[in-house]
Amino acid sequence: MIYLDSAATSLLKPKSVEKAMTRALRTMASPGRGGYEPAMLAAQTVFSCRCAAAELFNVPEPEQVVFTFNATHALNIAIGSLVKRGDRVVTSGYEHNSVTRALRNAGAITDAARSPLFDSDAAISAFKEKIPGAAAAVCTHVSNVFGFILPVYEIAELCRKNNVPLIIDASQSAGALKVDFSSLGAEFIAMPGHKGLLGPQGTGLLLCGEDGVPLLCGCTGSESKNQDMPDFLPDRLEAGTHNVTGIAGLLAGIEYVSEQTPEKLGRREAELREAAVEELSGTGGLELFSGPDQAGVLSLRHRSKDCETLCSLLSENGVAVRGGLHCAPQAHETAGTADTGTLRMSFSPFTEVRDVKKACRLLKNIAEA
Amino acid sequence: MLHYLIMTRSLTYAQRASRLLERSGITATIMRAPQSVSGSGCGYCVSVPYKHGVKAVKMLDEAGLRRGEVYISDADGEIREALI
Repeated sequence: MIYLDSAATSLLKPKSVEKAMTRALRTMASPGRGGYEPAMLAAQTVFSCRCAAAELFNVPEPEQVVFTFNATHALNIAIGSLVKRGDRVVTSGYEHNSVTRALRNAGAITDAARSPLFDSDAAISAFKEKIPGAAAAVCTHVSNVFGFILPVYEIAELCRKNNVPLIIDASQSAGALKVDFSSLGAEFIAMPGHKGLLGPQGTGLLLCGEDGVPLLCGCTGSESKNQDMPDFLPDRLEAGTHNVTGIAGLLAGIEYVSEQTPEKLGRREAELREAAVEELSGTGGLELFSGPDQAGVLSLRHRSKDCETLCSLLSENGVAVRGGLHCAPQAHETAGTADTGTLRMSFSPFTEVRDVKKACRLLKNIAEA
Repeated sequence: MLHYLIMTRSLTYAQRASRLLERSGITATIMRAPQSVSGSGCGYCVSVPYKHGVKAVKMLDEAGLRRGEVYISDADGEIREALI
């Protein structure tokens, strides 16, 4: 099978991830729940992962790295910490439902700073107009549908100048682009562990610039006589038993990404996207969404064939891609593709160019049939 | 053998303290805090050899690493508050 759905999850992972998870399953107990060897081994693994993530994302202290189940969980904590009912919250026009639904649930008024695809200057202008007076801003770093890289460093600067707290959704950029927590100065940065960081599903990270409000309450292994959640990180936001096996795998993934560097891995993914564009350009009936400031994600649609039909036909031929709205209707509204959805190809550092070309040739034949 | 027990607010803080001290050549073992001295319930502490105790506490304070009370534990498990 040719797997081109890495924006959903990283099916292809370094061998070290599987090895670390097997070791954790066999040897590790629950961190913070005992002083015996398997508990302390688990604690060491969890702490090592915090430190590795802090180093990769330039977070001042390891306790500012909070483990979550996924990016959605992390975003819900961040939004729940900053947003109150009736608040006006500025977003880009390319947010995922994990942001827009969480904002709706919080009772916020979402004010989308919409801008055309692949136009960073327009994105900055749109935020410039909306940011003053907002209660908070939430911005994705990379659109999960189109791969458009939003100018988050400039947007973060705008937020700082206007004293507007910022949440960044790094779901598609962590592990593929530079994500510098200290330079960005965001209140929170949320990310999954199972995409660009190459860890397993069930892992996510929330980088915290402030203590935050707990989404879950319960055991933390600290201050157990206190019936309020601790007032310090990471315990404040980490109730219940950790996903130690997942965190062990995530640590191996982060070590791989750190060694290779996100810039190198992201460049590789962008090259694969360029190879796909080259192969598909000029195909009758296909519209490709491609432009500058684009990561390793490519969306396209056919003039008359439904994107889900194209996906099914590709799947029958051993190619895994995703069709539809990709849980981001806002992005489709902005790009004008809400009625059709798109077929999305997304690449991993382990994808081979020849596989991309083979998949594109198949798609070409289906599209022109 | 005498040891200093430096209370920490959480396991993560104990790990940070241990890492800082170990990097300076001070053996710092993370252990469960004795119930008799962990006022707010279960917790962790860092155990360091008696001869390095004062220096270790000073290093943690200088690094801005928040800690709790400091105790001295003897070989029989007797614990008394350290006057630092």
